[in-house]
Amino acid sequence: MINSLRELRAERGWSQGDLADALGVSRQSINALETGKFDPSLPLAFRIARLFGKGIEEIFDDGLGHLKKAAE
Amino acid sequence: MPEVTFREANKRYRRAFIPVMVVYTIAVFGGSYLLKQFETPPTWLSAIVALIMAAPIGGVLWLMWRLTRETDEFTRQKQMSALAAGGMITAFISVVWGFLELYNVVPTMWTFLVGPIFFLTYGLVYCVGGRSLGAGFEK
Repeated sequence: MINSLRELRAERGWSQGDLADALGVSRQSINALETGKFDPSLPLAFRIARLFGKGIEEIFDDGLGHLKKAAE
Repeated sequence: MPEVTFREANKRYRRAFIPVMVVYTIAVFGGSYLLKQFETPPTWLSAIVALIMAAPIGGVLWLMWRLTRETDEFTRQKQMSALAAGGMITAFISVVWGFLELYNVVPTMWTFLVGPIFFLTYGLVYCVGGRSLGAGFEK
């Protein structure tokens, strides 16, 4: 899954360690999330979204947005 | 599942791991010393000493289980994959060795080795899985 975690973190001037501490996870988790090696659970995705004051879909993109448009 | 952070979970693990290993060391050296006091130690005493020596290992396994439950989801996934892979590799080695034993190709394996083989394979898979296997491992 593609995400804008790295950009959002950079905008705030946070290190991976800062973000990891804020979310209560390991720095390796943040690295794996940013590099797309690991997809977060729904509760973690909500925590991330709330921390950045954004919606989950504004941060994470599963590349299937066209399905929503097709349904509409 | 208790709500603790990755850092707190690790701290809880380390705080408990060190005393358990101290008990293990005392049990191994103390037990061996005690049994050496007898020319032929009674079986019941040997059994008690052996069980006391093994008990802290059970404690370490429980601590690993607790850490796996309390740590963050990425680490948990890595940990569970490594535990499963370690178990499967150990089982496979045991089965292969068992067949070789059946046809007298190799000597009987010392059962005591199963534990170290598991911990070694688990550790290796955990390290390799987290680094070089990358996305394929963690997805």
